[in-house]
Amino acid sequence: MTNHWCDLQNADVFLTCGSNNVENHPISSKWVQKALDKGATWIVVDPRYTRSAACADIYSPIRAGTDIAFYGGMFNYIIQNNLMQTEYVVNYTNASYLIDPDFNFDVDTGLFSGWDEAKKSYTTTTWGYQTAEVVEPNTATGGPFAWTTAEGVPEFTPPANKVPKKDPTLEDPQCVFQVFKKHYERYDIDTVCAICGMDKETLELVYKTYCATGAPDKSGSIMYALGQTQHHYGAQNTRALSLVQLLLGNVGLAGGGVNALRGEPNVQGATDMAMLVFDFPGYMKWPTVQKYPDLRTWMEVETASDGYYTNKPKFFISALKEWFGENATVENDFGYDWLPKIGSDADLSIISTFDHMDTGRVKGYWLWGQNPASSAPNTKFAREAMSKLEWMVCVDCVETETASFWKAPDLDPATIDTEVYLLPAALIFEKPGTVVNSGRWLQWRYQVVEPYDQAKSDLDICDLLWKEIVGLYQAEGGANPEPILNMKWDYYIDGKIDARAIAQALNGYTVEDKNLLTTFGDLKADGSTSCALWIYAGYYANNDAPLDPAQQRVGARGTEDKGNLGLYQDWAYAWPLNRRIVYNRASADAEGKPWNEERMLVKWTGEKWESNDVPDFVASTKASDGTVTPVPPNNKAFFMNWEQNARLMISSMDMPTPEHYEPFESPTQNVLNGRQNSPCIRFTEHKSVQQGSKEEYPIAVTTYSVVEHWQTGSQTRSCPVLVEAMPSQFVEISEELAQEKGIENGDEVRVFNNRGSVVLNAFVTCRLKPLMVNGETVHQAGMVHHWGWAGEISTGDMVNDLAPNVGDPNCFIPEYKAFLIDIEKI
Amino acid sequence: MTDVAILYDSSRCSACKGCQSACKCWNGLPSPLEKNAVSCTGSYQSPPELNGDTRLLIRFDEAAGGSKGVEWAFNRRSCMHCVNPGCVAVCPSGALHVDAETGFVAVSAEKCVGCKYCASACPFGVPQHYGPEKTINKCTGCLDRVEQGRAPACVKTCQPGALKFGDREEMLAIAHERVALLKAKGYDKAVVYGENELDGLHVIMVEKYGLDAAGLPENPQINQVVDILGLMKPLTGIGAAAIVAGLGLSFLTGIGYKRDTLHYDEAAHDVVDMDTGEIVRHIDVESEE
Repeated sequence: MTNHWCDLQNADVFLTCGSNNVENHPISSKWVQKALDKGATWIVVDPRYTRSAACADIYSPIRAGTDIAFYGGMFNYIIQNNLMQTEYVVNYTNASYLIDPDFNFDVDTGLFSGWDEAKKSYTTTTWGYQTAEVVEPNTATGGPFAWTTAEGVPEFTPPANKVPKKDPTLEDPQCVFQVFKKHYERYDIDTVCAICGMDKETLELVYKTYCATGAPDKSGSIMYALGQTQHHYGAQNTRALSLVQLLLGNVGLAGGGVNALRGEPNVQGATDMAMLVFDFPGYMKWPTVQKYPDLRTWMEVETASDGYYTNKPKFFISALKEWFGENATVENDFGYDWLPKIGSDADLSIISTFDHMDTGRVKGYWLWGQNPASSAPNTKFAREAMSKLEWMVCVDCVETETASFWKAPDLDPATIDTEVYLLPAALIFEKPGTVVNSGRWLQWRYQVVEPYDQAKSDLDICDLLWKEIVGLYQAEGGANPEPILNMKWDYYIDGKIDARAIAQALNGYTVEDKNLLTTFGDLKADGSTSCALWIYAGYYANNDAPLDPAQQRVGARGTEDKGNLGLYQDWAYAWPLNRRIVYNRASADAEGKPWNEERMLVKWTGEKWESNDVPDFVASTKASDGTVTPVPPNNKAFFMNWEQNARLMISSMDMPTPEHYEPFESPTQNVLNGRQNSPCIRFTEHKSVQQGSKEEYPIAVTTYSVVEHWQTGSQTRSCPVLVEAMPSQFVEISEELAQEKGIENGDEVRVFNNRGSVVLNAFVTCRLKPLMVNGETVHQAGMVHHWGWAGEISTGDMVNDLAPNVGDPNCFIPEYKAFLIDIEKI
Repeated sequence: MTDVAILYDSSRCSACKGCQSACKCWNGLPSPLEKNAVSCTGSYQSPPELNGDTRLLIRFDEAAGGSKGVEWAFNRRSCMHCVNPGCVAVCPSGALHVDAETGFVAVSAEKCVGCKYCASACPFGVPQHYGPEKTINKCTGCLDRVEQGRAPACVKTCQPGALKFGDREEMLAIAHERVALLKAKGYDKAVVYGENELDGLHVIMVEKYGLDAAGLPENPQINQVVDILGLMKPLTGIGAAAIVAGLGLSFLTGIGYKRDTLHYDEAAHDVVDMDTGEIVRHIDVESEE
């Protein structure tokens, strides 16, 4: 979330799209209700009428997988009806930037300029800006790159800044705004209704209600989750809703924001720690063979030409210092070469992993709190691939479907040679440590009880593993010993591995005197600072009590609320730098006057900045003699981008701006352009995918969770009270479809496609309705997915057998949320 | 302490069943442990009804209509803690009584003789009986918590603030304010329940979609069998268990001990078993008087 849970109370209008927030993030209900009490309006757009829809003021159904059409229509509606927060857009986004004259989108082929059919990807040079001037990097004292000349900093050439040409009147036909405007003219209300299966009157009500937050003093909040992301254009869905927020001036404001609702217990923390295969902790890039063969190249590619990421090497080198400790020196590039490099040909994402097992490239599989035999798309293929493994280690608190994949009803254990180890893991209250909530709040979770029986914390398991592996390398040697033997692993207190020592490493400290750092602004690229995760700097920085989390910011429990906006500045610690609302510079106009005085986050008095939140911009400079000088207002509201403006169009993703394509398996044709699926969709060619057609499988389906259960159900299906509250999985269908198929409420039905077949109970409900899509009736169903064969209390078929193992090219998320099935009564 | 009440506001409720689960956890009420023992109800409502191990249930009722196309009504089904509870009036053993401090209908399960009169008397069908002795099980208002200055477990766990606990008058004021707001938002059927029904309840409800959708009777009446049973209270009040066990001839056994549902036919003066239709006792009104 750019904002946080308590901040939801400040919104004027909510749009829940791609999320079922009261069910899957129940705490949201508390703060949304507070906003409603103050007069807010709540819109839910969802394929089915959810428990969130029941609580909302306005509900519209949508065909799963058509979010870009929905949002594209909203862009068009905003522009055509002059609802844009123009001052915000002109000053804080790249709307005025001129882009390459050769940029083009061809409606007939559905392709942007630069498509390379052979590589199945874009060359994005035509998506870039026209350059006004090239400013060479300033390495002089006071310049952004002065630090690069300091002693001990590895040599590299900082990038020149290609200052883009701009037209602040937004009239130049090549400016981003005009190109953007033209692109979405096709997304008129009738077209959007036809694609999304929406009712025109309802859609207009949704647009009108939400777009009213384009008024400068109004805030709109978009809450989204996996319903938005689990598509083969999931990243573009998210970009689309972000663009709505930019056009309406809702980013950076109290009550606004782009709010990805992250699940408990710690999804945000996992992402911070580089859950994605190409990430390095702290949202940096993992070294790859081709793109970053050495540290110098990494620094030259990754360092921004302007904005805060001109400092990025400081964060990366400080992290390398924590990885390799005293073994990391400027002479050996701080151990850069010891990091394993991924080849660009190696797709190691969740989808491709099983192909690598199937073909024998991957022989062993170590799983930590993951249950892909249940959660992977096309789980049938996944478990068949697992059966070719030599070994598997599962670290979990119960025997999951993955730990027992060989017991799957359709596999014969006698034919499977995989050796499976199950290491019992401690549950959340059986171990201490740092957790991060969706609002980026770092909090300390204290241990309540000792782990059950032989279970151990993840940290203990890691430590045992490290000791064993290092011992073996020391005794026997082995391949590539340097990364293992040069690694720093000294997180012990009183001789035991300890989460507090890890916290200090994540926070960062000076190497010489082990002084904990209060800000990542103090990190250096010369090896004098060590910091495993720069964004957490300051969360555990009290040098007077390094062993007491309660006396650290991570344990802060102050209840004062400066500004009365629910910021609770002294409760926990929000990364980065205890900033509660990121991009908060944009909450005030170009002169620094808040768009809404009652929701003041930052304010320029004429002489200095006043603030209720930690400023997310350069509010002052500090000279070497310690003199602090306020920096008057400017337009650099998004200073993590090199442009220091937000990007309505972008050149670093698979699309320069979101364009509607149909789901991989769709009940209709793409009517907005000549291409059915996104050209960059991943993994469609694999034999296991077995694409179904709408003729064979006419019913569109989406999958989801219910509040009574959690993910693959490993824990919740072990809780009798939760099983009693929701005893079995079901497929929800409309009364009309039920009638066509002769299905009564509660009947057992078979749901199937080319990839699998499952038996579920049917819930026949008026909460789902047939949709009129491009002139034809489309039935849409919904399935929950928490069940499997493992467990002692409640078991069921594997719904993810049916989901296609295709996905998004940016982050490899699979398309769980929209595919095709048929259904029959048993 | 003045009379307290639990306020349930269905228009804030997200039907997460946190209250249903918290009730079970706090009160140590078991759920089935056998594999796949709980069958699908065809609804989000599960279990389908209150039972001997379930004192609180979130009820789901869906119907097409309204500005959003569907009216999906959630309701909290549990003891309403009547100001003048029929169950207490008929309880021969003192197992049910009104807590003087709070006004909640308290339970002393160890005194229950399992006669199930309370179930017959209750206009909401709340009292359930469990265990080999079929003793009473129903919401106690978490008096064990309330006595310690805490809110009932269901209230404590509620995230959206659909459940509140406090002074009854205060809860009523919140309920009325809420209904006015809901009506202004176009929920014409929104209504406060529990203010005057049966001389008042200690559970005040805001029903967003009206009483039908919530499964609540518009004008609840205590089963008239209560009057009849009440006639025998002097006899049974001394020590019902002893009378039941010892005399064997008492009115209690005479009208069908352990019947689940009794109905008093006013015209014929018959006590009828609703399950079988059998007249279990004809009352000679004059002679009884």
